[in-house]
Amino acid sequence: MALIFDSWLKLWMLSTRPVVLDWIDEIEAEVLSWEGITGTLHQYGGLQFNLGKVEIGHIHSNGIMDVLFSRQFKQELMKEGQIEDHHLFTKSGWISFLISSEEDKNYAKYLLGLSYERELHKAKRGSLVNPFV
Amino acid sequence: MNRILSKSPVFNGFFFSNLFAFLIIWISGHIEIESKTMIYSEFVILPLLMGMISIWFWRNLQLKGRTITGYSCVNGLLAILLSSVFLKEGVICLLIVSPLIFSFIITGAFIGRTILRKNSQKLNVSVFSLLVVLFVTDAVQEHHYENMVADEVIIHASPAEIWKNVVAFAPIREKNNYWLFQIGTPSPRATTVTGYYQGAGRKCIFSNGYIFDEKIVTYQENKDLTFDITGQPRDPEIMGHIDILRGQFLLKDNGNGTTTLIGNSWYRLYVFPTWYYDIWARSITRNVHLRVMEHIKQLSEKK
Repeated sequence: MALIFDSWLKLWMLSTRPVVLDWIDEIEAEVLSWEGITGTLHQYGGLQFNLGKVEIGHIHSNGIMDVLFSRQFKQELMKEGQIEDHHLFTKSGWISFLISSEEDKNYAKYLLGLSYERELHKAKRGSLVNPFV
Repeated sequence: MNRILSKSPVFNGFFFSNLFAFLIIWISGHIEIESKTMIYSEFVILPLLMGMISIWFWRNLQLKGRTITGYSCVNGLLAILLSSVFLKEGVICLLIVSPLIFSFIITGAFIGRTILRKNSQKLNVSVFSLLVVLFVTDAVQEHHYENMVADEVIIHASPAEIWKNVVAFAPIREKNNYWLFQIGTPSPRATTVTGYYQGAGRKCIFSNGYIFDEKIVTYQENKDLTFDITGQPRDPEIMGHIDILRGQFLLKDNGNGTTTLIGNSWYRLYVFPTWYYDIWARSITRNVHLRVMEHIKQLSEKK
C-alpha cells in the first residue's frame, strides 16, 4: 500500500510541481554514482539509498527526504535550521528535510553525503556493520 | 515478432502492455467461474504487469521519473479508453476505476525500473512469473463479498405519521447534492406499492427510469418494513457491478415527539478488491439512503 501511496504522490507532484520529480532524479543519479551505493524501493514508498545492507536515507515522491544520523549529530545539524525531526520518529536519529527548491536539492545531496561518510567511517573503524556485505 | 514491433519504444510500451492486458482479460473471461465478477487481479496485478511491460520497452530511453509517471498516466488512459470500447464499461464506472489503474501502472513501472537496474534476467522472469501465477490463482478462486450499510435520521413526527411515507412516497424533486448523482449515477426518485401488507410488491424508481422490483417480507406497521430486491436493472455503469439484496426501514419512537428512522441496505459486490470498491459502494448506498430518508423526513414534518 505504501508503494501505491507513493505513486499517488508522484501523480500529485506531476500535476502540481513536476520539477520536484526532476530534482529527485538528479539526487538519485548523483548518489547512485557514489561507490557502494545501491537504490531500492523504500518499504514505506519512495526511493531508498543503501551502502551495502545499511540504509543511508530515502526520498518520498513528494520531496520529503529522511536521513539517518546519530542523535548527537542530528542535534548539531538542527542548529543549521534546515532540517526537522523525522515526520514520525521524532526521538530517533532520523531527520526529515523537504526538498522544495534548487538549493534544497543541493542540501539534500549534502545530507546524504554526510550519512554516506558516516557509514563509510563506521565500516573503516571496523564496526560490526560491514556496509559492503 | 519484429513485424509487430514498432521503431518507437514509447509506442511499443503502450501497445504491448495494453495488448497483454486485453489478452489476459479475454482469457480470464473464459476461465472464470463467475463471468460477472471482476476480480482483484484485473485491477491490481494486471496494471502492475502493464507498468512493468511498458518500462521494459522504455529501458534504454533513460526516462526521467516525471516522464515515466506521465507515460504511465497515458498508458492508463489508453487502457481505460479501450475498456470503454471493448468491455463496454460506462463512464462513471471508468471514473471510479481510474485511480486504481493509474496508481498500479505507475507502481509497476517504478518496480520494473528498479528490477531492471539490478540487471538480473532471473529476477525479471521470477517477478513476472510470480505475478502471472498470482493472477491465475485469483482468477480460478471463488469471489463472494456481501456487506450492509446503515444510516439514521431523526424526524420530528410520530411513527404513524412517518410510516405512510416509508412504504411509498411521492416523487423526490429536491436537487441532488451528491457529486456522483450530479454526473449521472441514477438516484432514487419515487416508490410505489401494490398493497400495505407482507408479500406486497414494491417498486423503487430511479432517476434514469431504472426500476428495482421489491417484495415486502416484513410488514410491522409503524415499526419495520423489510423488502427483498427481486429484480434490478443491468447496465454498463455501477448497477452491473453491485446487487442490492435487501432493504429495511426501522422506526423507533424516541418518546419526545421525535422518531429515529433507520435505513439498512444489504448488497453484494461483483468487483474486487473490496478494500477499494466497498468505499464507493458504501458511499453510493449511503447517499441513496440519505436522499430517500431526507425526503421522508420532509414529507412527514410537513404540517
